[in-house]
Parts: sequence; structure tokens; C-alpha cells
Amino acid sequence: MTYKRRISALAAAAVGALALSACGGGASTAGSDGGSKSLTLGSVVEASAWDPAQAHVGHYIPMYEAAYDTLILRSPDGQLEPMLATDWSWSKDKKLFTLNLRDDVTFSDGATFDGEAVKANFEHFKKDNGPQASTMQNVESVEVVDADTVAYHLSAPDPALPIYLSNAAGFMGSPQALESQAIDSVPVGSGPYVMDESATIAGSQYTFKKREGYWNPELQKFDTVTFKVMPDTTARLNALVSGQIDAALLDPKSEAQASGAGLVLTKQQVDWQGMFLFDRAGDQVKALGDVKVRQAINHAIDRKSILDAVLLGQGTVTSQIFGESTSAFDESLENYYDYDPAKAKELLAEAGYADGFTLKMPSATGFDPVIYSSITQQLGAIGITVKQENLEGNEFRNRVLSGDYPASYYGIFQGEPWIAIGHHVGKDAAFNPQGYTDATSQKLIDRVQQGGKDGDDAAKELNRYVTEQAWFVPFFRVDQMFFNSKDITVQQQIQQAVPSLYNYAPAA
Amino acid sequence: MRRLAANPMALAAGAVLATIIVLSAGASIFGRYDPNVGDLANVLLAPGGEHLLGTDDAGRDIFSRLLHAGQTTLAAGLLAAAVAITIGTPVGILAGYYAGRLDSITSWIANMILSLPGIIVLLAVRAATGPSVWFSMVVFGVLLAPSFFRLTRTAVQSVRNELYVDAARVSGLGDVRIMARHIFSVVRAPLIIQTAMVASVAIAIQSVLEFLGLGDPLVPTWGVMMADAFRNVYLQPLLVLWPGLAIAAVTISLALLGNALRDALEDGQKTPKAKKQPKDAGKEAAGQHGPSTGAVEASAEEREHLISVTGLQVGYPQAGGTLKRVVDNVSLHVDRGEVLGLVGESGSGKSQTAFTILGLLPETAQVAGGRILFEGEPLLVAGDDVRNRARIAKLRGRGIGYIPQEPMSNLDLAFTVGYQLVRPMRKVLGLSASQARDKALELLATVGIRHPERTFNAYPHEISGGMAQRVLIAGAVSCEPKLLIADEPTTALDVTVQAEVLDLLRGLQQRLGTGMLLVTHDFGVVADICDRVVVMRQGTLVEEGDVRTLLRSPSHEYTKTLLASTLEGKEPMTMLGLERAK
Amino acid sequence: MLPFILRRLGAGIVLLFAITTITYVMLYFSSKNIAHNILGEFATPEQIAAKQAELGLDQPLFARYADWLGGALTGDLGRSWFNSEPVLQALSSRLPVTLSIVVTALLVATLLAAALGIAAAVKRGWIDRAVQFFSLAADALPSFVIAIILVTVLAIGLGLFPATGYVAFGSNPSLWLASITLPVLALIFQLTASSAQQFRSAIIEVRRRDYVRTLRSRGLGEREVLVKHVLRSAAPPALTILSLQFIGLLGGSVIVEQIFALPGIGPLAIASTTKGDIPVVMGIVVYTVIMVIIVNLIVDLVNGWLNPKVRVS
Repeated sequence: MTYKRRISALAAAAVGALALSACGGGASTAGSDGGSKSLTLGSVVEASAWDPAQAHVGHYIPMYEAAYDTLILRSPDGQLEPMLATDWSWSKDKKLFTLNLRDDVTFSDGATFDGEAVKANFEHFKKDNGPQASTMQNVESVEVVDADTVAYHLSAPDPALPIYLSNAAGFMGSPQALESQAIDSVPVGSGPYVMDESATIAGSQYTFKKREGYWNPELQKFDTVTFKVMPDTTARLNALVSGQIDAALLDPKSEAQASGAGLVLTKQQVDWQGMFLFDRAGDQVKALGDVKVRQAINHAIDRKSILDAVLLGQGTVTSQIFGESTSAFDESLENYYDYDPAKAKELLAEAGYADGFTLKMPSATGFDPVIYSSITQQLGAIGITVKQENLEGNEFRNRVLSGDYPASYYGIFQGEPWIAIGHHVGKDAAFNPQGYTDATSQKLIDRVQQGGKDGDDAAKELNRYVTEQAWFVPFFRVDQMFFNSKDITVQQQIQQAVPSLYNYAPAA
Repeated sequence: MRRLAANPMALAAGAVLATIIVLSAGASIFGRYDPNVGDLANVLLAPGGEHLLGTDDAGRDIFSRLLHAGQTTLAAGLLAAAVAITIGTPVGILAGYYAGRLDSITSWIANMILSLPGIIVLLAVRAATGPSVWFSMVVFGVLLAPSFFRLTRTAVQSVRNELYVDAARVSGLGDVRIMARHIFSVVRAPLIIQTAMVASVAIAIQSVLEFLGLGDPLVPTWGVMMADAFRNVYLQPLLVLWPGLAIAAVTISLALLGNALRDALEDGQKTPKAKKQPKDAGKEAAGQHGPSTGAVEASAEEREHLISVTGLQVGYPQAGGTLKRVVDNVSLHVDRGEVLGLVGESGSGKSQTAFTILGLLPETAQVAGGRILFEGEPLLVAGDDVRNRARIAKLRGRGIGYIPQEPMSNLDLAFTVGYQLVRPMRKVLGLSASQARDKALELLATVGIRHPERTFNAYPHEISGGMAQRVLIAGAVSCEPKLLIADEPTTALDVTVQAEVLDLLRGLQQRLGTGMLLVTHDFGVVADICDRVVVMRQGTLVEEGDVRTLLRSPSHEYTKTLLASTLEGKEPMTMLGLERAK
Repeated sequence: MLPFILRRLGAGIVLLFAITTITYVMLYFSSKNIAHNILGEFATPEQIAAKQAELGLDQPLFARYADWLGGALTGDLGRSWFNSEPVLQALSSRLPVTLSIVVTALLVATLLAAALGIAAAVKRGWIDRAVQFFSLAADALPSFVIAIILVTVLAIGLGLFPATGYVAFGSNPSLWLASITLPVLALIFQLTASSAQQFRSAIIEVRRRDYVRTLRSRGLGEREVLVKHVLRSAAPPALTILSLQFIGLLGGSVIVEQIFALPGIGPLAIASTTKGDIPVVMGIVVYTVIMVIIVNLIVDLVNGWLNPKVRVS
């Protein structure tokens, strides 16, 4: 009677709800579809908007590389090679950068790639205010010399420009698609793959299919490429082990399991982590103004133990901020500061701080809490009282970058010297909120800006200067633990968090 | 307090809680290590040796950290509870006292707050205010306030209604003061219980937030320890056990304690477990109160009656273990075609006796002694399960019928009158649907309902009290029982309707020749329709006899008093009027 | 029936409006530095200013709220500030995942709780005490502790189930089942416990009612009385209980989804509130309140339907 009706209604509702859940989130994974080659990558991040002006570097790059080409291609070892541009050159005053372009490239919507397209992309890039817009801050305009030649007019020399044009600023989208909002959801570029909208679920999975008529079939190693969004490390681990994905970044704590499951490990160092001593001028904390104090801090940290505890030893203890692959790297600076609390105390006393002092530092949820507690403990051992203030992720960045704190722990990308200077060494660098500078460093920085052999030498000198002056307290370079299945081969990309899409190939 | 101590669950919970509180409060004493200092050379050590519970991923001693974390966790839980009480209680009091618009507004707000999923709100608040355990707990306290609000509001309302009786005598000022005193006594216990529950929930939620990384990871709390442990779960799974146990122990203990408190306060209402009465206990109990009838064979005389109750003893177990007797050594019988009146004041045990016959007592009741025979066959013996005797189950409706007291509450509002008449007949008599329906309509006509068809199709809320009682009578006789037990069938009716229903009953009884056991407190009814009478008082039978004799010349003092008191304000019946004239 | 529905919907809309307003005001005060976070560390001041203008962050509270409200009323909940994904799409693509664990948990828990509640209420004795103890204990125990224990023991220790991840029903039913087993288990513990307790109380209360006694006196079998009459009368309070549980589930599923890395609404809620992605947070609040309203409305309707007084009129 009524009873039965009620129960069947409930049952129908339940089945309905389950069916609903079946319909959504039900795109099939790019897997073995008999004969065709597919690549499935576990991505740490969700794709941002697909507008190339919104492109980001690091974990986002392979996704944009699926749909877009860059002007210049960066090979796995960091060399710059032709892509949409065939060759390029600097003017004598280093303020004009000219590129010759290919004439046989079309976008997936049929538009032609030419000088006008480059100019349109540049203007859109600046206007659209994406996360990498600051890389073009020194470029005033792009001149279309002719159909296959463009010239970048700079307001000041920028030796990193070619690198930028091999990254976010170099992605070229179809000019007519750039202005519409549709390009945020579906990319329109000249790249090796095209998005398969039917197999794409925003926030969860992005699928791309090989593009017919792509000008460089050599770069199209697969028929289908799928990015699965998996921010959780354990999820990526499980997916790798079970074969759901072919490659992903993991972490030291899951290494044992991954290796045990027969996955291939490649390590790559991209970031350095350590303390930034923003207040080198001593405005907030007088003590920090004295180089001896900063050096004392460097000697007080037991880098190896922290590395072992937090990253299970996966990394390299270092005292310099420049990376191994960069021209500024100096092997002899690697262990400039050894762990020596006694010496640290001595230095402090010499500087007149035998009783120590107080240091306010922010802590964020992004780093392992063990790091913060170790800093507090180890600095405390030489008499420096560290007051930790826990900040929310957003707050952290804002407060730190606006100079609220004299020092902070952070991790930062080790790019080429000019990029690193722009990030955290130069007086206008984001991570130099106090704007600290001095004559010696500025002279060196100016030389680096000019590029060339002298620029490289200056970079090395700068490295030595910064290290001896203890502007920072580098702890270690972090090993990125990248795992892939035996079905594919992959080459790591220097100075990039994850390999470029072009670096993957099916195993022979 | 004593009752609380007697409850083993409460004792265990209390002990656990006390231990944890003491350990946490004395964290600096019991834990030998600084909770924030770690030895990086000794990370993730297994329990044992220097470290009772091992070390965590920073090389810190887990035991010490656990205890210090307990301080913060417990304090935070208390904070949430305190905020909830501070906000909810005064507002609840005001809403209950002033009622009106204030009440509606605050109630609406309370409902609104209650309808929000706490986690989402806390997440949103955190987006606005940043990470801080204390602030989240304050906000959570606000979210929990409605429960205290409702508690105090209800308490105040009940007290306020009581007081209106005395409103005339009490001055305005005294009103408030008396209210205050009354409120505290009423509200105190529920408040304590609620606090325990709320603290438990607060600790749970707080741990969740910290686990999700939304707290301050540098301040050790159990939630933070869980997060640390989970981060390292592949390396040292044991880490999750310690904070997990701590959280579980505290939250469960608080809940158990709160529940036990509630039990202890509701003394009589919370019935102790109903155990099956062992046969010996019945005999033993019977032996203390008069002649044992358990072992004695039923006499021939007993078997002659339609129904015979001998030495019946029924009681309810009390918290202390004693048995409170409500029917104490009662013996009576009803013969075919006769009407026996069972008279007494409320609490005399008359209804209980009737229910015992029908097997309709609550589960907690126990038959301590005696037996009941129906048509010569045993219906109940000492030690029987009071509810589920197979014998009585077969007789219900068919052998023995029941007419309840309160007409409206004895019909299931969700089914039509007709259904409730037809269904028993189909089951008990095996009639077909149409046969049963015809019979039902016939019965409805017999009991004097003017439009049987209409009533048949109606729902109980659509008919009047008098009609409902007639329906119930119809139902009782529908399966042609040999004995009718009527429990105060006219008490709940209007005076005019009473007489009609009594006539109806008498007519039915005479026509069908059923025996009837009529439970009542009204001698008027007794005089009207009964043949014989028994009088009960506080569970025992004080007098028995045929109607005329008992009413004219009662022998027991109590019967005399009862008769005298019933004459107040009532129409004197003829026989009794004679009595007064004497 | 119709005026009743309209009135409830009206009350629901007022509730929705009140809650979204309060939430928006709270979030407003937290959005000062959002532009910087969206653009990343190396953004120039000009970029930040431009972004603020683009998102309307320089406008006063009222204007911003009116803007959002206007959009929301036409079904446009805006786009995420961080990845430009339309909020509505973000919610709708994640909703099936959340529903699959919430609905499954609710169904399983209801059946279990009903069985336990009935057994406790009818049989009394040791079953009753056992059920009560279990209810209290499991209700008080936070579900995330249970979830972690399940993961540690069953997934990592014994390897019986995947520790994290979700497989859609459409792509592989048996893997889907495996991926939701542990999350559902974690949820039903607490759900069953509290529901069983409430069902038990409701059934005991109904069994004490007069008409139950009278129906038994007529000779109707115990089982029939229990099922047709007791359970039916206990259904309205039971449904109310279930609706409250559902609301609790919405909160509980957030944590469980986070622990098991299921791509449902939960991780979206946590990520967006942590980052300060206001359009998404508002979208989630709206979604939550609407769910609450719908569930309450359904329960009211079903209760009304069960109650002849309402139905017949």
C-alpha cells in the first residue's frame, strides 16, 4: 500500500542519485586503446585558465606545452633551440632582440602564425595581467619588422629574455581566439596536441589528442596525452603503483614504496630552501646588520640533520644560493659554512651579542613543521630566541613580501643568475622587501645584466660576495623525486620542476 | 552522586577522564621532555627505552608532547563549551521568560545556526580571520549555543507556567527571585550534562580542524599530532595510535559520563534492564507476602470460573534492586455473564491487574507470584514473561477483549476507523475482506453510530470522543470475546455521553453473555452495571462482595471512606440515598 | 499542500539570503591581499593594482555584494579568482563524487541504524545496553580518527583497499566500489551510532502509546503491530533525525574526502577557503544552504504525506 509506494520512491531516489554520480566524473581514462600510444601524467596542480597569458611555469608548463608552442625551445640540458623562431640576435646595446620566425605554422583554428600574431600575443600577455606578466616588464613593445621578423624593444638590458620566451611569455595563441573568454576553457594554439573536450573534466582531467598537420611531427611522441589532477602525494603514489598514470612527482617519504614497485626514479634539483635574512641593514633587528651575526646563524644550523629528518636525506647541503647548472655556481662555496655552534657563539660574542637577541619569524603551513621547530631549537642553542608567528598561506606571502619580518624560511627557484637576481638578490627583487643593496653587489649585478662572458664571471663573483656576506642562510637544495613507469622514458628538464612534455617518449 | 557511582560505565569513563586530565595538567611533571625540543638524530623511534611512546618526525618525545598537547586540547574544548553556555543560557532564559517577539526572533536565529554544517562555517570564518585555535573555538561556541538556548528556554517556560498559579500571591520582585531559584534547580542538571556533550563535540571538531592543517602547527595539540602522524604514516604507522587514542578516550568518556549523569538524574524513569524472572525468585517473593500459591495446584473451584486470579503479585524493579509491588496478593474471579467491578483510587493497582490479565504490562514489569486461569486453563503463572506469553497472545481479541479508557489516544491516527476494525477480525476470525467489512458496519450500527459508512471511512481525528469510544467498544466485542475488560470506559467522556455508553455496555454484555471486568473509581458506575465488586487499595484487595451488600453496608474502613468521598457533588443513587437517610 | 511548500521555500530563501550576506561580509574583510596571491610572488605593484581593479577588489562592500548577488540570482556564480573556472562548473563536476559517498553512507547507515534501533527497542535486555553503549561511543568518536585508523590498518597495513583516490562508477564499477568503501565506512560509523540511538528512542516512545496497546489487545500479531503501526508512527521523527544526519554528513564528508583525496566538494571547500578564493567559497556556502533547504523540505513533505491530517485536507 502506501508503505510499498514510499519504499519504492526512496529506492528510486537513491538509484537516481547513484546514477547521477555515475554520469558525472565518468570520463574514461586514456589507457591502452589497442596500438595507439598514450601518456598519462599525474599533475600536482590543476590547470589554470588556458589563455596563454595566464600560463605559469613549473608544474603548469607541460600542460600548456600540449596545446601551445613557444618561440624558443629549451632542451632538457637548458640549451636554447629554435621552435617558432628559427634564430635570434641581440643588438649591440642589448636593448633590441630580433627573432626570425617560421612561415609554415598555423593555429588549430586555421589562423596563420606570423609577426602580427607575435605582437598580438605580447600585447595580450601584458594586458591580461597573468602570473608571469612581470617577466615582460623590461619590454616596451614588439615591432613587426615583416611577416616573419619581430623585434622586441627593451627599456633596459634583460639577459633572461630568451629564456622567458622559451617559457610562459613565449606561448603563442591564435590572435583571434585571444580576446574571447572561450580560450580560458579550451586552448587554441599551434602546439602538437589539441584538447579533447569530451574526455576533459575541469579540475580533474585534461585530455589531448595528436594534432593532424602539426609542423614538427618529431615532437609528437604520443597519440593521446592526459593530465590527471592529483594534488595529494599518496594518491599519485597509488596511481603510479597501480598503473593508472605513467609518471608523477612524489616525495622522499613515498620513495621506498615507489621504488619497491619497480618504478624508475630520477632526481632533479630545482629549488633551494633556507632562511632569508631580509633585514641585512639591521633596521628591525640591529643584530642582523652585522655580518658576523649573520655568519653565526649560518654556523648554527645543522643542515644535514634537518635534511635527513625532513627530506630523508634527499637533497644536497649547501651554503650558496645559486644552482649547480647555473654559471654562478662555485663548488668551493658548497660547504663554506659548516655546522659549528661553538664558532657561532664566538662570532656572536665578537659582534657584541654574547647574550643573544630575539628574532621574529613567520611560519607557514607549506613547509614541514619540523623545519621551524629545528630552527627555533638550533638558534636557541646559541642564544638567539626565535619567536614564530604562524601565518595562513596568503597572509604569509603578503606579510613577508611587504617586509614585516626581518627573516623567514622559504624555498625558491634556482634560475639563471639574472633571474635569481630578479627574484631575491637585486634591490628591486620581490624577496628583498627591504630593498637592501650596496655598491659592491650593485656593480656586479650591472655586469651580469650585460650578459656574455663577463656577465658569467660577474655572476660567480656575486655568488662569492653574497655567500661571504651571509645575506642568506641556505640549508640545502631539494631533490625532486620523479618517478615513471617502465613503459616510458623521460628526460628531466634543467631548472624546471617537472619535465617538459617533449621529454617523454614511449619505451623502445 | 551515589547513583552515578553505581553505574559501571560512568565509573570507567570518569576514571579515564580524570587520569587524562591529571596527566595533562601535570604535563611538566609526568613528561620528562620538552614537547617542542626534538633530537634530529632520533626521529621516529619505536616505543620503549628512553621514550615511553617513541619519538615523532622531529625527534620529540611523544609521551611528553601528548600530555602538553592535552592541556591545549582540553582547554580549547572547554572554551567552546564556555562560550556556548555564556551565550546560549542567558538568551534562552530571556526568550523563555519574555516570550513573544523576542522568543520568535531568537528561536529563528537558533534554528538557523543549527541548520548550518559546522565545518563549512568554520572554514569560511577561517578564510576571513586566519588560523587561530582560540578564535575557531569561540566561533564554534557560538555554533553550539543554540543547544543551551533551547535547554534553558524550555526549562524557563515550564517553570513560568507553574508559577502563574501563584502569580496572584507573589509580588513582582519576588517573582524574579523565585524564578531564579527555580530555574537554577531545574536547569542545573541538564546544563551539566549538555556541557559534557558539547565539550566532547568541541574537542572532536577542533582536532579535525588542526588535522586539516587549519590550526597553528607549532602549538602541540592532539589534532596537530594526528596531522604529523598521518604525514609520516608510511614510515611509522604507530604514530597515529597515540593521539587517536587520546582523542577517542576523552570524547567517548565525556559522552558516556554525560549520559550516565542523565540516567542518574532520571531515577525512576530510566528502567533498569528487564530480566527474565527466574522461576525460583517468583516463588521466593511470593512466600514473603502471604500464602505461597506457586507450587499449589489450582483448585477445582478456581477452574470453574471464567477467569480466576489467585494471589497475583506484580511489581517493578527499583534502582536499588528492590521490587516495588503494585499488585500485592490479589485474588478475584469473574464468571460467565457476570460483571465484576474493580474499584479503587488511582495508584490502587486496578489497571495494573487488568493489564496483567491481558499481558499488556510494560516490559519492565515482573510477575512475582500468583496465577491466572482462564476457562480452567492456566493463563499466567509466576515467572512468566509479562508481555509475550503465547497463551495470552492467542486469547487476545478472541477470548478476552479490552475497552480502553481514553478514546482518542487509543486509535492509530494514520489508519481509518474501518481499517482498525476490519483488520483484527480478518486476522483473528479469518473473515474475508467483505465479510469483515459488513460485520464492522453492523457493529458500528449496534454501538449506536448513526452513519456507520461515514465513520467507517473516517480517520480518528475526524470523529468525536464519544464516537471514538463507541468505535473502541465495537472493536472490543468484534471478535466475540468471552470476557471483556473495560478500563474506566466512561471516565474520559462527557457526562451525558457517559450514561449512553454505560447503557450500551450493559446491553451488549447482557445480549452477548460476556463476562466483564469493569475497572473504575466511580461507584456510580459500579451501582449502575456491576454484579459484584472488589475494592483495591495500594495494590491489595481490601473488600469483596456483591454490589448491593457492599454499597449498603461496607465492612472495611477504606471502603467506607471511599464511598463517602464519592458522594460529594454527585447525584445520590437511590440505594445510597437510603444509606444516608439511615 | 502548495501553500505549505511555498511557505517553506520562502523561509528557505530568507535563510539563504541571511547566510550568504553574513558570509560575504566576513570574507570581505579577508580579501585585502588576494591580488598578490593570485598573481604570485613576483608580481609588480602595477600588476597588483590592475588585478584588483579587474576583480573589483577596490570597490566598497555593498557594491561588490550587490554585484555578486546579481550574478547569483541569474545563476552565474562567477569564476574562481585563481583559475578562472566557472564556480557552477566546479561545483557540478565535483558534486557527483560527494553524492556518491554521502548517499551511499546514508542508505547503509539508515538500514543498519534501523535494524539496531528496532532490536534495541523491542528486545531490550543486553542488546539494548550493547546498542546504547555502541551508539554513545561511536557517536562521540570523531570520524576522522576512524578514517585514519581505517586507512592505516586496512589500506596501508593490509593493502585491502586503496588509500586514496576515486574511480568514477561509469569507468569501472568495481574499482569505484573499492575506492568508496573506506570513506563510506568512516562516515557510517558515527551516522549509524547516532541514528540508532534516536530510532531506538522514537520506537520506544511509540510502543508506549495507548493505541499500540489496544491494537495488541485485539489480537494483532506483534510483528504486524511493530511494522505497520509502530514503525510507521516512528517514521516522522526518524525522518527528521535523518535530515539532521544528512546535514552532519555534508560536514563530515569534507574531512573524509580530504583524507581519502576524493575529488569532491570537500577538498574544493578547504582549498578555496585556505586560498581565499571568494567566489568559490560563496558558491560552496550557497550550495550547502540549498542542500539543507531541499532536504528539510523533502522531510517536511514526506512527513506531511504520512500524516493523514495534512493529507486529507
